[in-house]
Amino acid sequence: MLASTRRGRKGMKNMRRFGHRCQNKAFAFFAFLLCSGGSALAAPPAPPQAAETSDVATLPHFSDHWALIATNNVAFTLYDGDKGTILGTVPAKMIDNLAISSDRTKIYTAVSMWSREDHGTREDFLQEYDTPHLALEHEIDLPPRALAVFKQQNLELSADGQWAYIFNMSPATGVSIVNLHDRKVVRTVDTPGCALIFPWAHNGFSSLCGNGSLTNVAFDGKKAQVTQTKSFFDADTDPVFEQSQVNRRTGQALFVTYTGMVYPATLSAQPVLGQPWSLQEAASQPKAGTGVQELAWRPGGKQPFFWHTADNRLYALMHTGPYWTHKQDGTEVWVYDVVQHRLLQRIVLPGPTASIAVSPDTKHPLLFAVQPSGKLFILSAESGEVTKTIEARVAGFLVVPTP
Amino acid sequence: MRVPLFDRVTETFTRHLASHSPRRQFLGWFSTFVAGSGAFPLLPVQRAQAESRASVPVPPNTASDFDRLAQSVDPTKCNYWRHCAIDGVLCGCCGGGVHTCPPGTQPSPVSWIGTCRNPSDGRQYVIAYRDCCGRTTCASTPDCHCNTADREMPIYRPQTSNDIIWCFGTTSTTYHCSTAAIVGQA
Repeated sequence: MLASTRRGRKGMKNMRRFGHRCQNKAFAFFAFLLCSGGSALAAPPAPPQAAETSDVATLPHFSDHWALIATNNVAFTLYDGDKGTILGTVPAKMIDNLAISSDRTKIYTAVSMWSREDHGTREDFLQEYDTPHLALEHEIDLPPRALAVFKQQNLELSADGQWAYIFNMSPATGVSIVNLHDRKVVRTVDTPGCALIFPWAHNGFSSLCGNGSLTNVAFDGKKAQVTQTKSFFDADTDPVFEQSQVNRRTGQALFVTYTGMVYPATLSAQPVLGQPWSLQEAASQPKAGTGVQELAWRPGGKQPFFWHTADNRLYALMHTGPYWTHKQDGTEVWVYDVVQHRLLQRIVLPGPTASIAVSPDTKHPLLFAVQPSGKLFILSAESGEVTKTIEARVAGFLVVPTP
Repeated sequence: MRVPLFDRVTETFTRHLASHSPRRQFLGWFSTFVAGSGAFPLLPVQRAQAESRASVPVPPNTASDFDRLAQSVDPTKCNYWRHCAIDGVLCGCCGGGVHTCPPGTQPSPVSWIGTCRNPSDGRQYVIAYRDCCGRTTCASTPDCHCNTADREMPIYRPQTSNDIIWCFGTTSTTYHCSTAAIVGQA
């Protein structure tokens, strides 16, 4: 009895111990489930993460589908147009300027700043970045540059990578010529009454003048020679856009007027002017006039043109409006065959757009469209389909590489 | 035939006038009146007429979109009549006024110009868009950032080009904001 009682008591104890063990195990099991989220029942615990060293990303060769986009008035942000992601940043403000070398290995910014932010000693200089590292490699002192809001035609490079041309305005106008191999200013040429830079294929550039002509500066490193054309457009009634296009490899230019007349030219000491044609007539519409009540499709915006030289197409940002709406945002991009003077395509934009640029490839070109709100749209330049929408805080100016 | 009374009275009066008024004397008086009328002080009347003529709205085919929508009440708005060719931040939104630079800044002695129509009096005025310089750009609300372009020209016509930072001749050439002062009637 005793024995059986003892056995019974012992049995009870064992039962309680077993119960406790079961409870403990169940508790531990549920705790494990809770902690592990129930996902790795059989997985061994993850090893601790290894210590890291800080490093710096580098870039592959500058892709056709990349663009440097002026953002937030403090920098140019390098975007991958395929992914819609940021690759890096090059500092430059609203009054500065940026150009990519033809071989895409260098990025140059023409910069002005003051030693004490808004006062003090003013310094103007050209900064040279190498593209793979976006590393600032050299700075070249410049005479005072022209200060204006983003204008690509205030800084241009020769296709061979030897010369940089920087437009000056004090308010007398001139151009500083920088030898990029020696990294110094070799010459400043006065261009009275003329402004902006449209480089030739070799050793020179032309500027647009207030009387509707071109001034042409030949410079091979020794002597500058200046020639002047006759007036070929009426600057009083229908001036040529500052944002007219040039192919720096060939020196061919497309000068487009406020009403939409296109004046082709091959630039040199003696520029050859081609037959002018109308953006509207090429689209089977009447030529637009200069009436302030004359409604028509017209070019306009902050950066309203892009000449895709690889397939010889002119992309024009168009809107409907009267004369003097040359700064108005566009609602469509019209794509022209530059040789045939024929409208090929109309791309309806997702909203009012201030600036456009197109990637230089012919396979699947991208159309970058910047809205005044700072939103960046990336579209297929072939179908017009929007592929990316980015709240990029764009300040209305963008630069893409040349082909 | 019986002549009506009115005709008889008129005939008698004109015959009397003809027989008692020397024609040369009449011509002399009349020419004196015509020649001398220029000496009468008609100028205020003419001015009043000129005023009413100038107040006639600009014919519809010469009014730009900006002209037709412009107002003359609130100079801190982009559609204020003087802002027909401005590009920048309005100084009136930054502690200054339509022709006044904000404290701590300096007006540029040179400027670009526009020609704008005042809807209140119908006149065209030359406007000097003087930038205020020496401080970093005024951080006003976006509705004070204006960019209009009536008669605005490219940078190779600098006097009417509004993309240029017009801070020439100031101690510092940093841009802060833009004013729109009346220079005179166009």
